[in-house]
Amino acid sequence: MNRKSIAMLATALGLATVSVMAVAASPANTIAARQANFKVMGKSFKGIMDQMKAPAADFAVLKTNADALAKAAGKVHGFFPKGSGPEAGVKTHALPAIWQKPAEFKLALAKLADGTKAMQSAAKTNDIAQVKAAFPGVGGACKGCHDQFKAKD
Amino acid sequence: MAVGLRRTALWDLPVRLVHWSFVALIPALWWTAEYGKIDLHKKFGLIMLGLVVFRILWGFIGSDSARFDNFFRSPAVVVTYLRGLRSGGYVPSTGHNPLGGWSVIAMLGLLVAQVAIGLFTQDVDGIESGPLNFLVSYDTAEALRELHGVGFNLILLFVTIHIAAIVYYTVVKKDRIVPPMITGSRDFPEDIAAPRMAPLWRAIPLILFAIVLAWWIGKGAPTSLAQLNAEPAPSAEDYM
Repeated sequence: MNRKSIAMLATALGLATVSVMAVAASPANTIAARQANFKVMGKSFKGIMDQMKAPAADFAVLKTNADALAKAAGKVHGFFPKGSGPEAGVKTHALPAIWQKPAEFKLALAKLADGTKAMQSAAKTNDIAQVKAAFPGVGGACKGCHDQFKAKD
Repeated sequence: MAVGLRRTALWDLPVRLVHWSFVALIPALWWTAEYGKIDLHKKFGLIMLGLVVFRILWGFIGSDSARFDNFFRSPAVVVTYLRGLRSGGYVPSTGHNPLGGWSVIAMLGLLVAQVAIGLFTQDVDGIESGPLNFLVSYDTAEALRELHGVGFNLILLFVTIHIAAIVYYTVVKKDRIVPPMITGSRDFPEDIAAPRMAPLWRAIPLILFAIVLAWWIGKGAPTSLAQLNAEPAPSAEDYM
């Protein structure tokens, strides 16, 4: 392999990397990743709810779900860069209000962080009453944010 | 020899009450779903469950015109009836006509399926869910939400056909079939065998059963007293 072909290969690799990054950061991909993250949240939220309704709660399952929920909740903010709203031309329920009222959106996410962390702590107590007490803080954060920033179907 | 007409009881009170409750409930269920009033939607859904359960049981011990054994007619009978309609030999039935009986089966079947799916499904964001949602996985509940939408469209299609049939009998056959569904009776020739009407008290145990069943399912179908008396999980309406 001579120097010229190495340089060409390097350039090609560089271009490929840049284009992969561009694809990764495209609004469509951001929205897809965002929705996948919310699905993780929905699943773990249901996982917690199911244990509250079960005859005897499985605290190992509760903890796994509470951890997954808190982790996914911490990622939400990063999934809403400018340009990933309805203007992206991809089906999304994200309302323009997210970018028009950044302070309110931040506050809603802070509530989500608080609520999901409180749930994590509650799950560690092995006391279902504590979990039930922490639950409205999570559900309220979800619902409060959706009411303001998520389009109805 | 001319036969006189006689006022004859046709639709008993339970049949009429269930029928007009459907007329009120189906739009209400649509509206509450469409506008995200899921808490109300679930309450209406449980009322629908009670009504459908009652109506099915009434189909076994109710008046003749309510009974399923008069609804399952052979295709040959249905075809003969339809040929009769076209050739102008229309005679009002003392109950559901051969095709109408099948339409009741279809409607109740659709409602049973729709209510059953609703019990297990969840809202778009998974915050609100049916009382038996905890028995199925997240993905199953998501798939059921799609089906719940399909089920509604089928019900809508059925209702459209039902109304078209009413218009047909009223306008083309000049038989006003709506007033009897309100008053319960209509004129029939004196020599016709009138449907046997069930005493109303017979409905009481069925009503009680339907109410208890709907209430129990609404509580998440607990199988022990401890579960029933357990502190309920907070409902979404308490969040805000």
